[in-house]
Order: sequence, then C-alpha cells, then structure tokens
Amino acid sequence: MLAITGINWTNLLTKGTITAVIRIAALVVIGFPLLTFVSAITGRAVKKRFTPQASMLVRKGIFYTGSVLLLVSILYQMGFKLTALLGAAGIAGIAIGFASQTSVSNIISGLFLISEKPFTVGDIVKVGDTKGTILSIDLLSVKLRTFDNQFIRIPNESLIKNQVTNITRFPIRRLDINVGVAYKENVGKVREVLLDIASKEPLCLDEPEPLVRFLNFGDSALEFLFAVWCVKEDYLKLNTKMMQQIKERFDAENIEIPFPHQSLYTGSVTKPFPIRIVKEQHEDKTKSP
Amino acid sequence: MDVWKSQKIVSDQCMQGQIGPLRLWLKQAGDELRIAVERIEDTESILETKVFELIKGTEPEDLDWGRWVVGTNADIIKLIPLTPDRPLVVRPEVPLKIPTNHEALFFVSFPIWVRIVVGKSKQLNLYEVPSVVLSNIWFGDPMSGELCYSLLSRARRKINNAESPPHRVICPVRIRNSSTKQLDVERFCVHVEHLKIYDGSDKLWTNEINITFKGEIEVSQVHYAQSPPTFEPVQNVIGEARIPLKKPLLKKSLSDFKLFSGS
Repeated sequence: MLAITGINWTNLLTKGTITAVIRIAALVVIGFPLLTFVSAITGRAVKKRFTPQASMLVRKGIFYTGSVLLLVSILYQMGFKLTALLGAAGIAGIAIGFASQTSVSNIISGLFLISEKPFTVGDIVKVGDTKGTILSIDLLSVKLRTFDNQFIRIPNESLIKNQVTNITRFPIRRLDINVGVAYKENVGKVREVLLDIASKEPLCLDEPEPLVRFLNFGDSALEFLFAVWCVKEDYLKLNTKMMQQIKERFDAENIEIPFPHQSLYTGSVTKPFPIRIVKEQHEDKTKSP
Repeated sequence: MDVWKSQKIVSDQCMQGQIGPLRLWLKQAGDELRIAVERIEDTESILETKVFELIKGTEPEDLDWGRWVVGTNADIIKLIPLTPDRPLVVRPEVPLKIPTNHEALFFVSFPIWVRIVVGKSKQLNLYEVPSVVLSNIWFGDPMSGELCYSLLSRARRKINNAESPPHRVICPVRIRNSSTKQLDVERFCVHVEHLKIYDGSDKLWTNEINITFKGEIEVSQVHYAQSPPTFEPVQNVIGEARIPLKKPLLKKSLSDFKLFSGS
C-alpha cells in the first residue's frame, strides 16, 4: 500500500525521519514566533531606557541573528552538512559582500549615526538643500518629511560624508534679519527703533539680548544685522511678526527702506543735469508741412 | 477684594469685569459660555477693578471670543488669582550689591494670571489668562537653561513704597550672601509656581522666598515659606500654588553671568 508511484514510503518514514520532521516543525512553529516575541520585548525594554533608534537596532539585531540560527538548525535537521554549508556561505558571502558594498557602508554609517546621535527622531535638520523633520533613523537610511510634506530618504553614508545641520538641537535660536535703510537716516535712531521693536515683542527673548549691528555701506542702503533670540518653537512666528513690525515702525518713524536705484551725473555734482525739451521741436515738425 | 468672590452669571446678557489692564467679557446662552479678553492701554483705567456687571447693548464683535460648553447649571463664575505658569527672572532696574554675610529684603511686584472657574459644587476650570503679557527670557546656559518670564523690577526695599495695582502681587524675596565674595544682584530667578497668593488689606501677597547664595560654584539654597507674609495682615489664601512644594529647593537661582548675543 505504501509503495505508491514507485516511492518506498516505508523506507522514508523511519523513526529518525519522523523525529527530524517534528523538530523542524517545532522550530518553525515555535521558534519564529518566540523570536519575534523576544525581540519585541527586548526592544520595548531598551526603548524605556535608551533612544528609539537603539531599541530598533537591538530588536532587529536579535531578530536577524535568531533567524539565521533557526535557519541553520532547520538545515541541520534536514540533513545538510554544516561544514559544507558554511564553506558555501563563505564563498557566497564574499560574492554578496562585493555586490552589496553600498548597503554595508550604509549599515556601518547607520551604526555610527545611532551611536554618535547628531540628531534624533523629531529634530529638524538641513542636509544640503533639503530641510525637514526626521521621521526615522534606520540601518540603511534616514527618512525625512519636508515642510511641504514630501518624503525624502537619505542614505546613511551621505549623512556621514556631508555636513548635517541640526536646527532644533538647542532650545533657543537666533533669528537674523538683514535691514537696509536710506543713507540719509540717523544710524542711532534706527538702532533705537529696532531695539524698541524687540523689547515690545513678548516672543523675543530679553536675554540673550537682541543685537543691532551696523554691517556695511551698501550700494543703495546702510546695511544692519538685527538679531533676536527666541525659543525654537516660536522661530517662524517671530520671523513673520518681526518683519511686519519693522515695516510698520519704519513707516511710522519715516525711516526709508530703500530699493536699488542709480543717480546720473554729467561729470560734476554741482552742475545741473542738462534737459532738452523735445516736445516743442516735435510740435514744430508736425506743423511745418 | 470683591472681584475674587463668586458672582452670578445673568443668562443671555453680556457682562463685563475688570482687573487692572485685563477686561473680561462673558455671555451665557443656554449651556454655552462665551468669554473674551480685552487689554486696556489707558493708563488711568488700568488701576481699576470691577466686578462683573451687565452691559447694555450687544457684545463687541471685534473681540476674539472663545466658547465653552458648561451645562445649564454653571451660572456661578469665580475668578482665581494665580502666579505665572513659568518662573520669573527678576532684573532690578539698578543692580544691587550685597556684601558677604549680609542679607537684603526685596518686595518684588509681578502681574498675576487669572483663572476663570464656573459652577457651584463641582467647579470647572475654563481658562487662564495673564493680566499682563510678560516678555520671554532665557535663564542659564543657551544649551540647557530654562524659559522664564522677564520682569524688570524696581525691587523695592520698603513696604510703603511697594506698588499695589489690583493686577499685581507682591512677593517678599530675602537674599542672603553666605559666600566669601560680594554678590552682584543683576538678576535672580524666582519659581513663582510654588507660591500661594494671599489677600491682604489692599494688596495681594505671596509667601516669602529666602535665597541663600553660597558662591558661584555652589548651588544656591531656596526656601519657600509656607506661612503667610507678616508685613501686612492678610486674610486667607485666594490662589493656591500651581505646584505645591514642601521641601526646600536646591537650585541655582542667582546669576551674575552675562548672557551673550553673539554676532
């Protein structure tokens, strides 16, 4: 009865084979769920004491290491010789290693990023021309959400190689506003008005003190740097308010905000610019015929 | 003062009350209470206090009204004075120097916050509003300090000179210099959220703060007295501390370092 389709099932279903099948089934059915459970529990415990990135790293580390061990155990139960398998794995490893240099580089860079902690999830960073909030720091890449709601994936390797600016690392920030006024304006009055604007704005920190610095004699304006401090959450709000208040106060105080313009001279500032009225000539020409 | 006592809300009528520069508008319609805040800039009017009274005509539309669903039984309103929700950095207009082993008592006057509460037995906290919006200031290191409110104070030394507008509370601060060097009091940080507010005869008072300066490296010891101030007879607590404190605080409260602006 057991010799169906030419296979001798009696020889196959020996006591040893059945035991191996049971072991394999137990490894698959119990091993993988247990592994998932252990990695999740450990990850949660690490998260309480350390950062979410460390938790993710520990969780994935346990899961992948455990998975490899389970796979090796299953193959051993199936009768594969581990020495040959490891030899083959070594050769395959070299081949895969060459093929996945970038990925390995990203993984190692990711480990550096996690240990160095230049930023954490939720920070606002600037990488090159990209600015956004960190969504996650993974082994291969960092995910950002830009302010116009785009998803950006940056490989870890490029974050290690390039300059990254963490905008929200510290609790307070300085808002720099470049202000230009006409050459006829009184520098002292401009400084006084700007400091008064800062003192009347509650979001602007009294200390560190606001700063007004006369920067330069520009092409069309006297150039000032007006720098005020605020808590990082108020930065955008303060920026808008200060710009509006500067314009309104300058208008009220008759301080001119110039735009680029050019003065024409005929060679000497003392002589008036010669003007020739062409209208009459034009009228004469039209009348002559 | 009567303004801190419970008052009856007249339904479907616009009412108005005032505490210094803070004018509060309210109107109850059904189970909904509408509240608006107006800030008075007229220098004469800001010294007045008015209990809620009916206002003829319609409510002003240009105010920023907020709406709360309070139920039909919430016809009693009560205003509770509170300290600001963040610490205050007090900067005396003229810095004072305290020699070693000497102490100085200041009367610091700062604007209160007002909590609006409705209901009889089961009170409902609706809203908190500052009587004066104080400017922000950073106390401590730019990387790890704390956000406070800035208060430029005359830091008066005598009780008779202390200001007493209705929207301000007087906090006695005693600073003792136990260090070996003279102390330059340019600014000090007061954690007002640990202070209670007492109703005096014509002023609001907080409990006394005692700061002992032990040196620039040592941590200053701050003690918040639990008993009422003794400079004037006070009746009872009309505003509980936001964060009640039992043990003395060890904090760096005095600062004579210059914060930078950079360039």
